[in-house]
Parts: sequence; structure tokens; C-alpha cells
Amino acid sequence: MKQFALFVIKEARHIVRDKRTMLILFGMPTVMMLLFGFAISTDVKNVRTLIVATQPDRQMQQAADRLSASTYFTMVGTAASSSEAERLIRSGRADMAIVYHRNPTSPQGRFLFMTDGADPNMAQQWATYAQQVMAGRQTAGVSTKMLYNPQMKSAYNFVPAIMGMLLMLVCAMMTSVSIVREKERGTMEVLLVSPVRPLVVVIAKAVPYLVLAFAILIIILLMARHVLGVPIAGSLFWIVAVSIVYILLALSLGLLISCVAKTQLVALLASAMLLLMPVVMLSGMLFPVESMPRVLQWIAAVIPPRYYIDAMRKLMIMGAGIADIAREAGILVGMTILFLIAALAKFNSRLD
Amino acid sequence: MNAIEVSHISRQYGKVKALSDVSFSVSKGEVFGLIGPDGAGKTTLFRILATLLLADKGKARVDGYDVVEQMRDVRRRVGYMPGRFSLYQDLTVQENLEFFATLFGTTIDEGYDSIKAIYSQIEKFRHRRAGALSGGMKQKLALSCALIHSPSVLLLDEPTTGVDPVSRKELWDMLGLLKERQITVVASTPYLNEVCRCERVAFLDHGEVRGIGSPEAILKQFSHIFNPPAIEHAHAPKAEQENIIEVNHLVKAFGNFHAVDDISFSVKRGEIFGFLGANGAGKTTAMHMLTGLSQPTSGKGRVAGYDIKTEYEQIKRHIGYMSQRFSLYEDLTVSENIHLFAGIYGMDKKAIKAKTDEMLKRLDFEAHRDDLVASLPLGWKQKLAFSVSIIHEPGVVFLDEPTGGVDPATRRQFWELIYEAAALGITVFVTTHYMDEAEYCDRISIMVDGKISALGTPDELKSRFNQPDMDHVFTHLARQTTRSSD
Amino acid sequence: MVLKYLIQKEFLQIRRNAFLPRLIVMFPIIIMCVMPWVMSMEVKNIVAIVVDNDHSTLSRQLTGAIESSNYFVFGGQKGSYKEALANVETGKADLVLVIPAHYGRDVALHRPTQVLVAANAVNGTKGSMGAAYMSQIVTAKTNPSLEAMQHGAETLLLYNKHQNYKLYMIPALFALVMMLMTGFLPTLNIVGEKETGTIEQINVTPVSKWTFILSKLIPYWLIALFVITACLLLAWGVYGLTPAGPVWLIYVLAMLLALFFSSFGLVVSNYSSNMQQAIFVMWFFIVCIMLLSGLFTPVRSMPDWAYLTTYVNPMHYFIDAIRTVYVRGGNFASVRSQLWPLLAIGSLMAVWAVKSYKKNG
Repeated sequence: MKQFALFVIKEARHIVRDKRTMLILFGMPTVMMLLFGFAISTDVKNVRTLIVATQPDRQMQQAADRLSASTYFTMVGTAASSSEAERLIRSGRADMAIVYHRNPTSPQGRFLFMTDGADPNMAQQWATYAQQVMAGRQTAGVSTKMLYNPQMKSAYNFVPAIMGMLLMLVCAMMTSVSIVREKERGTMEVLLVSPVRPLVVVIAKAVPYLVLAFAILIIILLMARHVLGVPIAGSLFWIVAVSIVYILLALSLGLLISCVAKTQLVALLASAMLLLMPVVMLSGMLFPVESMPRVLQWIAAVIPPRYYIDAMRKLMIMGAGIADIAREAGILVGMTILFLIAALAKFNSRLD
Repeated sequence: MNAIEVSHISRQYGKVKALSDVSFSVSKGEVFGLIGPDGAGKTTLFRILATLLLADKGKARVDGYDVVEQMRDVRRRVGYMPGRFSLYQDLTVQENLEFFATLFGTTIDEGYDSIKAIYSQIEKFRHRRAGALSGGMKQKLALSCALIHSPSVLLLDEPTTGVDPVSRKELWDMLGLLKERQITVVASTPYLNEVCRCERVAFLDHGEVRGIGSPEAILKQFSHIFNPPAIEHAHAPKAEQENIIEVNHLVKAFGNFHAVDDISFSVKRGEIFGFLGANGAGKTTAMHMLTGLSQPTSGKGRVAGYDIKTEYEQIKRHIGYMSQRFSLYEDLTVSENIHLFAGIYGMDKKAIKAKTDEMLKRLDFEAHRDDLVASLPLGWKQKLAFSVSIIHEPGVVFLDEPTGGVDPATRRQFWELIYEAAALGITVFVTTHYMDEAEYCDRISIMVDGKISALGTPDELKSRFNQPDMDHVFTHLARQTTRSSD
Repeated sequence: MVLKYLIQKEFLQIRRNAFLPRLIVMFPIIIMCVMPWVMSMEVKNIVAIVVDNDHSTLSRQLTGAIESSNYFVFGGQKGSYKEALANVETGKADLVLVIPAHYGRDVALHRPTQVLVAANAVNGTKGSMGAAYMSQIVTAKTNPSLEAMQHGAETLLLYNKHQNYKLYMIPALFALVMMLMTGFLPTLNIVGEKETGTIEQINVTPVSKWTFILSKLIPYWLIALFVITACLLLAWGVYGLTPAGPVWLIYVLAMLLALFFSSFGLVVSNYSSNMQQAIFVMWFFIVCIMLLSGLFTPVRSMPDWAYLTTYVNPMHYFIDAIRTVYVRGGNFASVRSQLWPLLAIGSLMAVWAVKSYKKNG
């Protein structure tokens, strides 16, 4: 027991001594929360709009006034012709051009919305928004209710995702180096020959990172609640409990990488670069899993953050109970055990 | 009962036979030496005994337990210090020691007596990070960490590499004390005077045991390997040569600690200058300033006619350097390393090719041209590193403990290379802990606590301090030390 | 001349490594083959449930319109709002349309009445787009003025006629792969030499700082050249996508981005004392640069203070420019305002990489 405690202290010292890494460790969640909370959004805003009008027209003028009054659109001037408008959009100086054609047979003219279709999603939305704005306030026939997220803030969506990404990568990156570094520097030889069991070495390495990850979790939750104003709808106990399981999972994965990798270079590239991609891309953090092809959905099914992010969304934002996330929690526990067993099996108690 | 029983152990790495059919036994409480040239298989044997490697064939028992089946029991009873013992650089001296003490289920206080002789020298720096210690001091700390507990069997793989002569004596005195407590010691060492302090030694060569017996008998039997004839000391620089290194009142301070404290000396062109001193006396720091790796705090120095403070980039054109740590690229082959450094010094393709062929021939390395440097034995690496460091025929070459851990025969070859270089007019500036090597130098200086406390030819120093050999001169001077760190 | 030997050495070291060559070749291939499918943000498969309390012609027409719409997957009808909500909570449905009783009659008599669209907005994009489409369907059925507007309006999506979301995301993937490859590898390089001690040997040779740093940068530029070529070929081979603008311009842009990231990696490496520290610092900056660049989210949706950072974000210039060239078919003139800043930031970083490398500490 005393040996174990000392091991933990030793690992903790390694962490505390490296001031720069510590700064990043705590700076990262803070900065990410602020960025996601205040900087990044997918809302339609400030769409740079051009008017293409050959002659001044009352209907066109009314439309332009309505557009510039809304926060969705920013008028960036007029273009003399469609082709000039197209050139401006091509060089990235405008996003959308509205071309008005007078109809000689009716007072109602025809509008052509020329949008930068590079991002077809946004382009569609711009056109839809523009039509609604130009038609005036006439959508009163629909009352829209955004469930669980009344203010439509992206933060609601991103907080669980940040938690999923940061906890995973920080834990995996930190632990993945820890064993391989001792191998590379030669201290592992002495540890192995000592009477200490490999299990103790492995577990002791994980403990300080567990504490650290827990601190990061607290920072994220506090910032989510008090800075971003995201209400924590579900039970705090279960949020923390599921998070700890997830942290353990990430730590086990890091240990597994560390046991398999031969050099620090490999361990770091594997955990920082290779792991980053599936975690960001396949976890449903930025891109919804449902719209992926089936094969990728299967692959996504083995990406642990996916379940954690799902569980956190339900727990934190929707206020679901533990029973609703039993499946996710169960999968996370199972994966943790699997990784831990694999890490221990791969931990070589000899040199080759 | 024998403490160690090795029977018919064989081990291969790929095609290379590291050990073949090795058998010997060590009785309880014996101090047993493993000696032999680099690449003889000593480290492999240590690792098998420490349960770190599996033998291909044969059995070994340590303290009565089989190293394969009863791995746990063996690990509980064995103390092991690998050749490349590494400390936790970011932990302090005391934290390192504390960690290893607890690892073996003891405390610093309990084990203090077993490490006192060595540890007391670094104890005053117990709050300094291990990474900030000088090379030799790290080795002392590593030794302390390995010795802190009292195992039944202690396996020491070249424990004294890089340690100064005075501390080495103290260490072996200490190992002698362990005998009284019935602790078995198996150690390997390249130092002959240390070999003589073992009760029995086994001579290993190419993975085979060539002989086991008392150190005297073995050294005599294999004297062509261990006691190669001394090198003819025919070399003598002409007195009228100009100074190639001139140092005046050079100081390097870290905070209020003066690692190099006001040293002045000069070295003549073509001279072999021995730069001696205890661990932590400031040798490496001084050398870093002379090679333009760091800036002096105050004082003046000129190397090859250039000022070390302002013209350090010019200096680099005219010097060669071989650092304490082996610093060729281990993941490149022999010829690739030569190409790289020759290319760095601006040699053209034809010259590089000619030089490579000539160098490989002289070193007798032609068969290893395309071997990775990582796969070479240490002594070979050092010879290669030296040859590479003078590839551009510099005015001065700085060698920082070039022969640490190298066996006697290879060391002799190494010094032949040095003499060849000196004959070409290359000034050699060398640090070493081998006092027989000190005798090979034209002049030597001995640093104590950042100052030069003696300077002269080996004969002058011996007569000045009235000592029979350099070993005694060194011990005489180094005992005056009041600190031991840089 | 000296440079040649140093570069040769870097390549030999990369080749000798058991992991790096595989990483360099496999990483772009896997990313290019897998990620476009992931990144398709086409909001499809929004499962909509209808709670019809009216059972009139109009309400049936509405339900029919939803069933036949391309946007929605019709999730059936539910008896009550509560029941429907339970479906949303378990993730079986994303959106509920509640049609009140007497809706058809009220609309016909121009009495004020409202349908309720309740969308699961936990995924913001999906929620808002779902709600927007739904209200469009509803209002088009009930509001003559908008219907007229829609009839009189025509939407023309330029450059991406097939509304292929992959076409939009492929350039972003180029950027991502380039950033990770040319960012992380050099970060570990110099600090790695510090850890093994070989840097000391180089430091006592007369190699100039510029030569040394260049010898570290050029291999990564060559790797970048390989990566961008592989990416372009894969985009063409796997997805049939080719750049609409000149290919040479894409190479110029890619090289400028590589200049920035490889230099930045070396700067981090120069200041770091161990590999772990280096990778953490780099990772932090890479994630920030990536998120604030407009790679995934529109920069103009950001608040002003955050938008200001895009002026120094090389990734932002790159992604803007490469989309202009690759998707919109822009030429040199259209990306001039991105090229110069990119070049300036990259060169600045390269100078910093040289300055921060200390031969004489």
C-alpha cells in the first residue's frame, strides 16, 4: 500500500513539475468552453448579400429593407449584372445575390436567389431565410418550440461533446506517454526487477491522471453552468459517475497504447493525431452519426466518446434519468474493462 | 547453497549469438566479476539473471529460485542496476532515492548505511533535480538508488562508468562491506583495478566463458587482452608551437553557483591535453564554453584564434567534438553517419567517398559499413564517433570522457587513434577518469571545485606532489574537494 | 550543399522508423476515403411524427406533404403530444408536428390558429433546419403570400449544382490532413533530438541556423507535396471530384500552409523540453486554429471578437482560398487577398523558427 501511494506521488510529481503541460491541461478546457460557448456557432448570421437590380423598383427596395433590418443578412451593395454578382461570389466577397426580374404581365416580379452553393446546406438555409424575411412576418401560423434547448444555443450541443473529446484525448495522451517514456529512458528495467507487481505500476500511473481529469471535468461543468448558462437538468451524481467511468476508459486506452508502443514518438502520434480524428469525426460531436453510411455507423459504434456524449446529452440537457442511459453506461463500463484487460495483457513483464 | 547457478545458457538475437552455453556458479556472499570486451554478452547475461530476458536454452537459478518459473521470488531478492540506469530527471535527488527505497520496501534511513559512502557526496544537492546533475553525479545517485536496499543478490552492470577514481574506490570499499552481510555481488567493470577487487571473475568473450578464476590468474592468462602493452609515448609537441587554446580567468556561474570559477590555462598546437577532475568539478561546463555551446559569464578565451564569446560560430569550423553521451545518430548506418558529418563540414562527394573508405579501413569496419550504429558495441561506437569528429581535420578536438565504459583493449586502440590524430597536428583536449590514460597525455590539468588546482606534465605532477602514479596524484588532490557538483 | 546532407539524414531517419512511413502514406488515404462520408452534413433522415387532432382534409394534406417530402422520414402518427414527446426523448423521433383540433376549419375561415412544431434541438443544426423545413411546408400550404413568393422565386445554387456536400468538405479535409501531417511531425523532431542528445553534436558543427532549420522544414514540405497530391488523386478517384480552378494554385496554397505549420511545429519544438510538452502545446494550438478557421462552421456566424482572430489565422485564409479555387473555380486574382496574408504569416513563422533555435545557450 505504501509502495502504491509512493508510486502515485511520483507520478503526480512528474505532472506537477512540467508547468507548461499543466498550463495547457487546465487552459484547454477553459479556452475550448469559451470558444464553443461564445465563438463558434452554425447559426445563420451576417450573410453577405448583394442586390442585382437593373432598375430601381419598389418591391425590390422593400425586400432589401427587410433583409438589411434582419440580423441574418448584411447588405454588401449592388451589382450591375448577374455575371458581376457571380464573380463577386466566386472570389468570396459575397455569399448570396438576389436578382429581381420584373414581370411585364404582373406587378409581382420574380426573384432569383443566387447563392454560393459550396456549402449546400447553408445555401439552402440562406434562401429559405431570405424568402421568409422578404415575405414579411407571415409565418405566424406555426409556433416553433425547440425542445430541451429553448434558446437554440449551440452550447447545449457542444458542452457534452467537449467533455467527450477533452477527457478522452487528455487522458489518453497523458497516460500513453507514461509507460513508454520509462521504457525509453531505461527506468522500466529497474521497476520490472523490483518486487512491485505490474498491476500496481499500471494502476498507480492512472491515479493522478484520474484526479486531473476529474478536475478538468469540474472546470467544464462549472463553466457550463455559470459562464455559458447551460442548465444541468439531470442528476449531478449520475453525471459525475458516468464521467468517471468514461475517464477510466480513456485512461485504460492510453495505457494500452503505452504498452503497445515502442517509442514516445509512436505513442504520442497515435494518441494525439490518430485518435483525434475518430473522436472528433465519428463521435457525433460535429457530425450526426445518423446521416453517415451504415458501414461508418458500425465503426462509430465502437468509438467510446459517442456513447458518452449521447449519455451526457440525455443526462445534462434533457434531464433524463439513469434508466434512460443504462445502455450507454453499460457499454462504457464494458469497454473500460476490455481496454484494461488488454492493457494488462499487453504489459510485458520482461524486456522482449 | 550457491547464490547463482547458471547452466548451459544460450541466447540469440536474430543471427547474432549473444551467449552460447554459459555455465558458472557464484557462492553466497561472493563478489564475482564479469569481464570481457564490449559485445561479449555481459548485459544479456545480467538481464537473464534479473528475469528480464528469457534464455533460448539452459537454466539459471538465483538465490535458489528459477529465473523463469519463479520470476516473482527472484525479483523479490534481487537488486539490479542496469548499465544505462536512468533516473527520473524531473524528480529531485532525494525524491529519486526515496522512490527507489520504497520500491524495494525500505526507507532512506534504514538503508542509509549501505549507501553512505557514495550518497554523502551528493546529499547536499538532495533538493536539486536529477536532470540538473553532472554525468558522474547522476551515476552516483543511480548507484545509491540500486544499493539502498539489501537484496540477497546484487547485479551491477558496469556501475562505475563515468565515476571518478576516488569515488570508485569508495564504492568498492562499500561492496566489500556487503560481503559481511552475506550479500552476493555480481558486477561487470572495464577497470582493471576494480577487477582485482573481485574474489573470482569470469571472462566472457563472444558469448562464451573463456575462463573462471581469481582475478590475478585470469588477467594473467588473458594479459594480451587486459594488459595490452603500453603505447609508446613517442609523441612530443615542439616547444615553439603557438597556443591554440588560451583561457584567461574564465567563469561560468549559474545563479550564485560558480561551476567554473576563474580558470586560466593554455594549450599548444599538437598537444594532447588531459583535462581531469572529479565528478562535478566543472569539466563539462568548461568544455561547453570552449566549444561555443554556452556563453561564459566572464573572462576571456580564444580557441583556434577566435574569441569564444563573440566568434563562436567560427570556432565551430575549426574544432571537433565528441560528447559524453554517444552522439552519432543511432538510427543511421555507419557510412550514413560519416556521410552526414563529412557533408556538414562541406566536403565534396569524392572526398567523402575516399575519406569513408579510408576511415572504415583504418577502423577495420569495412564489414559493418551498412550496419545501424545502434547495433554496434559501445567501444566501436566510440572509435567511430572519434573518427567522425576529426573527419574535417580540425585544429582541436574536444573529447568528453570518450572511453567511459570501454574495455582495455578497445581503449588502447582508441588511444592509438588519438596519437595518430595528434601526429597529424590535431590538438587533443580530453577528459577521462582512467588514470592510465592520464599518463598518455602530454600535459594535464586537474580541476577541483571549478578551479584548476594542478597543471603540468604527468612526471612533473608526480614529483611535485610526491606520489608514485597519477592515480595517487588525483586522489591526493581530489580529496581536498569541498563540493561535488557542477 | 550541406543542406543536402542534412535533408538526406532526415529522410533516412523517417525511413528507418517503423511507424512514420506507414503513417505518412496511410493517414491521408484513410482520411480521404472515410471522412467525406462522415462529414456529409446533409441533414437527412429527420424523423417527424404527426399528432393530428383535427382529422380534416387540410391536416391530411399536411401529413401527406410530410410523407412525400425529401427532408423527412415519416415516423407515423401518435395519439397525443405526450406520447410523441416520449418518442423524441428516447431518440426515436426528432420532430413533432401538432395539428390542433378544428385546424382545417379555422384556416378556411381565416381564424387565428397555429400548429405546433416541436423539434429536438439538442443537435442545433438538425433542430433548426428541421423546424425551418417544417414551417415552410406548413406555411406554403396555408399562407398564400409566401406560396406566391415561393412560386415567384427561384433558387440557384452556384458551383455545386448537385448539392454535393462532399464537394464542400473535401477541401476542408485537405486542410485537415495537411495541418496534422505537417504540424505534429516536426513538433516532435527537434525536441526528440534534444532528448537523445544528438542536437549537441550538431550544435558544435558550423551548420548555420538557417541551414539547420531549413533541413528540418524541407522534408515536411516534400511530405506535404506528397500528401496534397495523394489527396487530389483520391478525391478524383474515389469521389470523381476535380478542382474547378487551376491545380497549380492548389499546390501553391498547400505549400504555404505547410510552410506555416511545419515552422510552427519547429517553434514549439524549440521551446519544449520534452516530447509530451511539445505535443500538448501543439495540440492545443491546432485545435484552436482548426475550430476558429471556418473549417466546420461559418466564420461570419462568430461574434466580432472571435472574428477578429481569423485575421491572423492562416487556416482561415487557406480554407477560404482553397474553397474558392476547388469549388468555385476561382483563379489567382480571386484568391490574391488570401495568398499574401498566408505567405506573410508563414514566412514570419519560419523566421521565428530560426530565431528560436539556440545554438549557443
